[in-house]
Amino acid sequence: MSRPNSISKSMLLSLFVAVALTLMPLPDEISPARPYWVALVLIYWNLEAGRLRHLGQAFALGLALDLLTGTLLGQHALSLIVISYLTERFRNRLRFFPPWQQAAAVMALLFNDRIVQLWVTGLTGDAWPPWSWWLAPLIGLILWPWVFLLLDRLRQSERLQRS
Amino acid sequence: MNFPAGTWSPVPGGNQAARTARLMAYGLLATILMVLDYRGGYVSDIRGRTAVLVEPLLLAVEAPFGFGRRLGEELRSRHELQDRIALIEQQLRSREAALMMLEEFESENAELRRLLEASRRVEVAFRAAELMSIDLNPYSHRVLINRGRRDGLEEGQPVIDADGVIGQVAQVARNSAHVILISDPDHALPVRVRRTDLRTVAYGTGQINSLRLTDLPMNVDLEPGDVLITSGLGGLFPPGLPVAEVQTVSRRAGEPFARADARPIGRLDRARHVLVVATDAAGEGETEARQEVEPEPIADEAGATP
Repeated sequence: MSRPNSISKSMLLSLFVAVALTLMPLPDEISPARPYWVALVLIYWNLEAGRLRHLGQAFALGLALDLLTGTLLGQHALSLIVISYLTERFRNRLRFFPPWQQAAAVMALLFNDRIVQLWVTGLTGDAWPPWSWWLAPLIGLILWPWVFLLLDRLRQSERLQRS
Repeated sequence: MNFPAGTWSPVPGGNQAARTARLMAYGLLATILMVLDYRGGYVSDIRGRTAVLVEPLLLAVEAPFGFGRRLGEELRSRHELQDRIALIEQQLRSREAALMMLEEFESENAELRRLLEASRRVEVAFRAAELMSIDLNPYSHRVLINRGRRDGLEEGQPVIDADGVIGQVAQVARNSAHVILISDPDHALPVRVRRTDLRTVAYGTGQINSLRLTDLPMNVDLEPGDVLITSGLGGLFPPGLPVAEVQTVSRRAGEPFARADARPIGRLDRARHVLVVATDAAGEGETEARQEVEPEPIADEAGATP
């Protein structure tokens, strides 16, 4: 069994893919509804593998995301530490939820995050995001079981290789 | 400890209160960073330095999509391409005809300026660039282009498309550069109204299709449809580039100034191929001037040594 805070290959891979999906070009109409991939991956690793649980790790990840996407420095950092904190807070309950209930909880987390981000966007005087921006948590809800299964499979195979 | 069966060790020092305290600390840090970034860009230095680390990742993500686009172009039918070439050749011919007229005007203009002893117009060079496919944060009003320091780009250089000004180079990495669009709330552009020569400043609004003119006198001669062009007063943009078209002018009773909304002429949201206006032509002018100055001290020295 791997140590809780070690950084494994599958974790790095999943984070890289999440970042790549965040930067991936999408048509303008659906671009605002892009799911928050990095948050999904972060929640998975916290809940299921017990890694990436430090707020510092979430903060660093958020800063990297800010630099990559050219966002106001600290916006994603703030949103990810809030997600990390809440996941950790309700971790023991979330872990034993049935999948769809867990997905609903993840959607609540993502929705809360939209509000945090909207707060920052509002303070900086940017334009109000379009309505499709609020679709992102819903898409996160639909994606969560698949992200979950995929990453579980990835982690299992890595564990098998190691043993 | 309320951790079940000790499957996972708790986060070191991870009781709830300590974790809440750390959330506060990190939240404060994030807020401070955001304030520093928003007010006065104190952290642009950090951004500049990390660009070296960030750029390879951006290029790696970009590569497959760039390849896909090229593949799409490869797969286009021969007919389609021939039609396009014919169309472009036709356009080229008409542009060339227009250009011949312009050359005539240009020499005439130079002569008139010489007669008036006015300063020479700054000559500009254009460098073609392409937008990278990567989506940055859609609310940041920034885009990435595929030219960087290696191609001689510098911060502050204007970026235009075929129709008008779209932005200005904000940050240069080796093979890519961030362009801040004129619609960014932080961006202000000195402009002139073409019809009346009124000088003012166009501010970004945070909306991709609108700029704002504030602080206009109440009796300002400005009408919807007036075209705004760069005034060249900021020293970064060459004068005369089309910027925006005035949409509405509002003179609200009780307010000291009139304000106007304008729609950018450049296609901020759709332009794929852009031109970076290189000011190196102006730079050459400077070196020429320096060369003219330099011989004198040498002559002085030559006169002093014997």
